[in-house]
Amino acid sequence: MSDEFAQFQEAFFEEAAEHLAIVEEGLLALEQHPEDLDLLGKIFRSAHSIKGASGMFGFNAVAQFTHKMETLLDLLRNGHKTVTPQIADLLLKSTDCLKTLIDAAKNGSAVDDETVQRLSTDLATASDIKVKAEAKVETAPLPLTPHPSRCFHIAWTPPAWLFQRGLDPLQTFKELGSLGTLSEVQVDVTKLPELATMDPEACYLSWTMKLETVKGRDIVDAVFEFVHEDSVLVITEEVRGKESGVRGAERPSSTPHPLPLTPHGVEGEPKPLGEILVESGVVTRDALDKALSQQKRVGDILIEQHAATPQQISQALQKQRESAAHAKKGTDTASIRVDTAKIDKLINLVGELVITQSMLNDLGFRFEMCQMPVLLERLAQLERNTREIQERVMGIRMLPIGTAFSRFPRLVRDLSAKAGKKIQLVLSGEETELDKTVIEAIGDPLTHLVRNSADHGLEPPEERLDNNKPELGTIRLNAFHEGGNICITVEDDGRGLNRERILAKAVKQGLIGEADKIADDQIWALIFKPGFSTAEKVTDVSGRGVGMDVVKRNIDALGGTVNIKTELGKGTTFTLRLPLTLAIIEGMTIRVGKETYIVPLLSVVESIQPKIDAIKTVVGKGELINVRGTYLTMVRLYEVFSLQPEFTEPAKAILLILEMEGEQVALMVDEILGQQQVVIKSMEDNFRKVDGVAGATILSDGAVGFILDVRGVLEIARRGALMAA
Amino acid sequence: MAALALDTATKGRNQQSGDATDGSQFLTFQLGDEVYGVDILRVQEIKGYTSVTKIPNQPSYIKGVMNLRGTIVPIIELRAKVGMETVDYTAHTVIVVVVVQDRIMGFVVDSVSDVLNISKQDIQAPPEFGTKVDVSFLNGIAKCGSNLVALLNIDRLLTDGDVRVAAGF
Repeated sequence: MSDEFAQFQEAFFEEAAEHLAIVEEGLLALEQHPEDLDLLGKIFRSAHSIKGASGMFGFNAVAQFTHKMETLLDLLRNGHKTVTPQIADLLLKSTDCLKTLIDAAKNGSAVDDETVQRLSTDLATASDIKVKAEAKVETAPLPLTPHPSRCFHIAWTPPAWLFQRGLDPLQTFKELGSLGTLSEVQVDVTKLPELATMDPEACYLSWTMKLETVKGRDIVDAVFEFVHEDSVLVITEEVRGKESGVRGAERPSSTPHPLPLTPHGVEGEPKPLGEILVESGVVTRDALDKALSQQKRVGDILIEQHAATPQQISQALQKQRESAAHAKKGTDTASIRVDTAKIDKLINLVGELVITQSMLNDLGFRFEMCQMPVLLERLAQLERNTREIQERVMGIRMLPIGTAFSRFPRLVRDLSAKAGKKIQLVLSGEETELDKTVIEAIGDPLTHLVRNSADHGLEPPEERLDNNKPELGTIRLNAFHEGGNICITVEDDGRGLNRERILAKAVKQGLIGEADKIADDQIWALIFKPGFSTAEKVTDVSGRGVGMDVVKRNIDALGGTVNIKTELGKGTTFTLRLPLTLAIIEGMTIRVGKETYIVPLLSVVESIQPKIDAIKTVVGKGELINVRGTYLTMVRLYEVFSLQPEFTEPAKAILLILEMEGEQVALMVDEILGQQQVVIKSMEDNFRKVDGVAGATILSDGAVGFILDVRGVLEIARRGALMAA
Repeated sequence: MAALALDTATKGRNQQSGDATDGSQFLTFQLGDEVYGVDILRVQEIKGYTSVTKIPNQPSYIKGVMNLRGTIVPIIELRAKVGMETVDYTAHTVIVVVVVQDRIMGFVVDSVSDVLNISKQDIQAPPEFGTKVDVSFLNGIAKCGSNLVALLNIDRLLTDGDVRVAAGF
């Protein structure tokens, strides 16, 4: 039972997250259209669902807080109040708070009790609930209640499926108990069968009880709302007065009482020093903010003191992020919601596959040579079926990218408030589908890009007006399919990248020489270097030079590319190109000796057959090859992997020019076999990470083939060259 | 009786997975002219030898990986791992697929012989010398009829420096 309960809880958290998203989205839209009653209704319904479900699961803090929000929403919905920016803001903040409360219920994370209390009070004030609440509190302790006490006799035989639907009669009793005094509860066990014939998931019990309460019949009925169906429920009321009359008023459930908001086992995090100083009046908030803005990160300080290079810092930061991401992963549930239509189609396809298989079976048993065309035709059908099923199954993992976009309206709203800029966000292509893992992985890079656009890209309103631009800046997020890839663009109509400034900064950091002639593309690529930021003022949003390199790194890790298009004074467009899925890659199969390897096609630039005199050997660096005037490092794959090659002469072999992270290398192999899609299988599941190998796959002959990790291969080669030198 | 045997076998597994020496069933196989045994509960399947894909830059006892119904399974040359000279494969050469610390691995042996019931009192501590296998890889020696069976500790044998280090234990 507890396992099942945990399962229901998981479903609750998932749904709560969805409802929260709806509430947030709705509230943001509401700010633009305060009169939209449909929208209010939608928000209200979602909030109500959260309240109902959280109450059912016993997350009282969540339920009570949501109740407060709901009260205010209800007033707005009924037109008793109008949506003001203040109210919208309050509701948005409350949504954030609700999010932390739900997180706390989920994994015991810390909750800022003070915020919860403050927002609860604000919500109550906003809904003028205080007056009513006080009135109620006053009436409760009076010796004579306005309602006469009532006594209900309840006979309840729940349906046999009670447990199967995850309902617990105990919950019902608790609820009844909270209405008043429950007494003379008797359980009827006569229907219990022999143990051997008993269905452990069926409910055989029935109860009779007496409830004394001040509540009306409808409230008592409501307790049984969920179990009413198929139940035999008889509630009779015995009207009586006098002595037991007062007792029922002990715990009126609708009276608001202070929220017990500390979840189990959670201790509040200690406050930051600054906050304490501000609170105790030692410094003012302004002074604190100023001090904080001057505060530098350890990494920046180390770089300034030349104790570490920007690269080292960014690597360390990457590690930190990875471990943080790792820790986060543990709590995330790995479930996915799939459109039933998708599943139905899949089932149809499997049906077809079964038919094709049985036709082939049939043919196989009485096969004669003359039936060859029939066989070929059926095999072709099988192939069609298989391919379609493959596509559909991949499709199950596909989600609309809108889920990744949905966080941005809020982000942009907050950023624009913080930076004092007027920004509108235009989303398009939200319905474009891509793999769930890719969606999860692009969230962070996209956030960085949007922040960057809002903070550096778009100018302050005065500057925009001076430049004859509309005061309102625009950030556009768009997603679309292009070839086998998905493209996501982040576009702003801000000031654009400043070529001169980037150049100056790059020269200052020693990334390029002063006299170097550099193409625009290469200049724009500089902003992805770790520790590179041209922002004159570092804000807490961005400008520390970490961020853009993270974008590049994350996109690279996904096998994608980032492109920049920019025009000074007109704006900047970042284009991310990503593979649709991580489970399958397009690969080039190559051969060295008897071994077959797969090189990710994305990293292959070209293949050439070199001339002998194009190769030079440099001590400590290995071999270099001259490709149209550029010298590239040449790596002999057979040396890296200690294999017996067919050719040791580069002139007889084939060189693959591979690109990774902007660097090109030449990989020497015996032969190129072809190009195919391969499904990536993990080596780490049963073995361990192998240097130079990104993963394994099953080749068409059933044998295992390795997918090369180009960077790893190059590292092995460099180690080898160093040792040789 | 059968129930009892099963009971002790499970007990053995519950107690300490690699150390089931309180009476259980063992799959025996041959390396050269010596007989070895592994706890049968650890064996997932036995497979005829099929060619494997060599993994680059690995110790010689790691034969490579094979495709076991879509799963990539590393194969270990047991002879090389325990320090015996390797021989050419014959029609009897088989791969014993075992589960070690939730990982599936296979090891190559000359041939499999039998499944034996060995009770706890028949198992003695491994001798200091006399087998070709490093004594630290053995759980014990059992006398079975006229044969001596060396009981392998596959956790030690197959994770020693292969999986454990890599997995960061």
